[in-house]
Amino acid sequence: MGHGDKGRHSKKPKFSSKENQRASAVEDEDAYYAADFEDDYRDGDREGKKRDFTKLELKPDHDNRPLWACADGRIFLETFSPLYKQAYDFLIAIAEPVCRPESMHEYNLTPHSLYAAVSVGLETETIVAVLNKLSKTKLPKEMIDFIHASTANYGKVKLVLKKNRYLIESPFPEVLKRLLKDEVISRARISTEGVQGSDGFTVGKSVGEIEGRHDELLNEAGLAAAAEEKETHSFEIYPAQVENVKQRCLPNALNYPMLEEYDFRNDTVNPDLDMELKPQAQPRPYQEKSLSKMFGNGRARSGIIVLPCGAGKSLVGVSAASRIRKSCLCLATNAVSVDQWAFQFKLWSTIRDDQICRFTSDSKERFRGNAGVVVTTYNMVAFGGKRSEESEKIIEEIRNREWGLLLMDEVHVVPAHMFRKVISITKSHCKLGLTATLVREDERITDLNFLIGPKLYEANWLDLVKGGFIANVQCAEVWCPMTKEFFAEYLKKENSRKKQALYVMNPNKFRACEFLIRFHEQQRGDKIIVFADNLFALTEYAMKLRKPMIYGATSHVERTKILDAFKTSREVNTVFLSKVGDNSIDIPEANVIIQISSHAGSRRQEAQRLGRILRAKGRLQDRMAGGKEEYNAFFYSLVSTDTQEMYYSTKRQQFLIDQGYSFKVITSLPPPDTGPELNYYHLDDQLALLGKVLSAGDDAVGLEQLEEDADDIALQKARRSAGSMSYMSGANGMVYMEYNAGRNKHQMKGKPKDPSKRHHLFKKRFV
Amino acid sequence: MVNVIKGLLISCDIPMAQFIINLNASLPQSQKFIIYVLDSTHIFVRSDVAGTIREAIKEFRDQNTYEKPA
Repeated sequence: MGHGDKGRHSKKPKFSSKENQRASAVEDEDAYYAADFEDDYRDGDREGKKRDFTKLELKPDHDNRPLWACADGRIFLETFSPLYKQAYDFLIAIAEPVCRPESMHEYNLTPHSLYAAVSVGLETETIVAVLNKLSKTKLPKEMIDFIHASTANYGKVKLVLKKNRYLIESPFPEVLKRLLKDEVISRARISTEGVQGSDGFTVGKSVGEIEGRHDELLNEAGLAAAAEEKETHSFEIYPAQVENVKQRCLPNALNYPMLEEYDFRNDTVNPDLDMELKPQAQPRPYQEKSLSKMFGNGRARSGIIVLPCGAGKSLVGVSAASRIRKSCLCLATNAVSVDQWAFQFKLWSTIRDDQICRFTSDSKERFRGNAGVVVTTYNMVAFGGKRSEESEKIIEEIRNREWGLLLMDEVHVVPAHMFRKVISITKSHCKLGLTATLVREDERITDLNFLIGPKLYEANWLDLVKGGFIANVQCAEVWCPMTKEFFAEYLKKENSRKKQALYVMNPNKFRACEFLIRFHEQQRGDKIIVFADNLFALTEYAMKLRKPMIYGATSHVERTKILDAFKTSREVNTVFLSKVGDNSIDIPEANVIIQISSHAGSRRQEAQRLGRILRAKGRLQDRMAGGKEEYNAFFYSLVSTDTQEMYYSTKRQQFLIDQGYSFKVITSLPPPDTGPELNYYHLDDQLALLGKVLSAGDDAVGLEQLEEDADDIALQKARRSAGSMSYMSGANGMVYMEYNAGRNKHQMKGKPKDPSKRHHLFKKRFV
Repeated sequence: MVNVIKGLLISCDIPMAQFIINLNASLPQSQKFIIYVLDSTHIFVRSDVAGTIREAIKEFRDQNTYEKPA
């Protein structure tokens, strides 16, 4: 950034005279900059100019209004305002949250967020009116124009699935004509034989929707459109092209974003599923709210609901399914969470056991009857190779069925191409994505906008903490200085591939980790999860401390056994997890996380890991501010100072900081007076450890490469895979065996992973 | 026989001392600047290299610091 700043300042004086001359021609100025600098510099410049607020006029009663709206689309919300709750609900519908610390939130109006607003039923005029009402100052003209420009075309086109055919519907034939002029869309069209009317659109009647009121705030602007018969025109498109068509319609292309709605009550074609929420399932206020966004006008909308881990995403999913009451396909990331979802369905709803079935490589339950819930993994559906006969049949069934609801858990983890496959295979009326962290380092998140739908709701973490719905977590970054010998090796060029192993195995870090485990186990009786991405470190730590561990190659049975022991036994209070534990392994008992190594600078991983301990524990009144235990969960990130880890660590924390969390830095762990009771006190031990790290093969100390879900795929006998020569010849296994010799034999179970497949240069790029 | 060499005494933490030693080792023989490593936190170096060392340490630290993009 420093470089950019310099560049900007040196150029500034050149413009200053010009700027005065054409003070009004702001647009030109921007275009000029755009050509000159990269994107973010341009943003910086524009902000700089628009940050002059001296001319803004305060409304006389500004004290009572909670918002500051800026011309560049940014909105600041005072959380201490009495109107905060209402304003928050409204803002979250129309704008993207940028940063939400305790007393001031920052939001950003974007075309996508406005698209989401329109799709939950807000109208342009309502948005402007309410914003104006909440704002302390007169709404900047730029913002009003922006809202108008972005929402003008929204809601004119709809994508409907009728009897297994995808139709594009609009009450305005001229809009459809304009769409068809686009090459992509016209190619996707299925021309009908019997042409009705000159333009070839199918004309149908549809009942105009009855708009419900969105929010009490909108009362005055509330609209009560009466039910009236409207003519709609439509044409059919190829199912395979749906995604391309949707993408063409987004704001950055044709700007006719399509709404996807499912009128499930009037769907007589698909059989009803007899399931209801059990009476004891009481959705919490924010769960109600997210559902009301989804079912705003009696129809179901596709979209994404963002709730922190542990805030009860499953209940939202189950409620949605039981409101639609049609067949539901539920996709999870791995076999463990498939079991958990099936369990959640049975727990919260009245669904019968024979109506729900799991489809994984271990349990292939055929499902009977004409409606039901199928829980499976993304991999099982998207897998392209040859399947067993049994699963082929089930997949065929999934493919041929028209699903009422496609429920997708952890949407952020699935790579876009796999999504595309899943969505092209399964035909569903309505898609609901659930996630806790809508960030990805590779910026593939925007794809979700057209693959699933807009973001319908996003909860504020701190509000949930205050409400006692999720645990109040104390986050801490523990700084562990490198020891002399380890740092010397770290700096050597020939060890560049072992850097990670060296800073993770730093004896000071080990001691800090051991100290924390002892402290929490003995003094507080906590349940602890230790995360390590680095497989070498994971085994090393777990063996030395004699704790159970779970990693990619651990079998499903063993995983379940370890997790059960962790949940119930008093002896097992600490478990070591590799990155398999990041998502979806539900361990409600744990309340301490110690992170010893991580996947570079991934913000998502950090948030997901924190999520493992967010489920609220203990009594509510103890957890509230001022209660007995203000913090009842602890998140420690152990970082070796003076290494790359410092860089990654700060980067990783950004997401949580944007959610309002703060990290405390701890520098003196273990306390200086601890002696040989912790491991690696003596230099000899440290040197032995160093020797071990250095002699381990590069393969062994690298990151664990997970096949995302080993399920069906791993069972295939003949499989083409690219691997290193040493892997093919078995030399890898030799390294593995040798280094494990004489230790617990059971650790050698499972197939050795080959982490060497990716060149380390590209590993870095895959942050 | 007594030798007098004018130099610079650097005192720093353990990792930084290692960094300086490593920096010294990476240079060709003619440019080596460490005169004596006194202990793990003190190094005696040629007097003219203060700037170079500062520069190298700054660069190293920048690499390990993440700044949030504006």
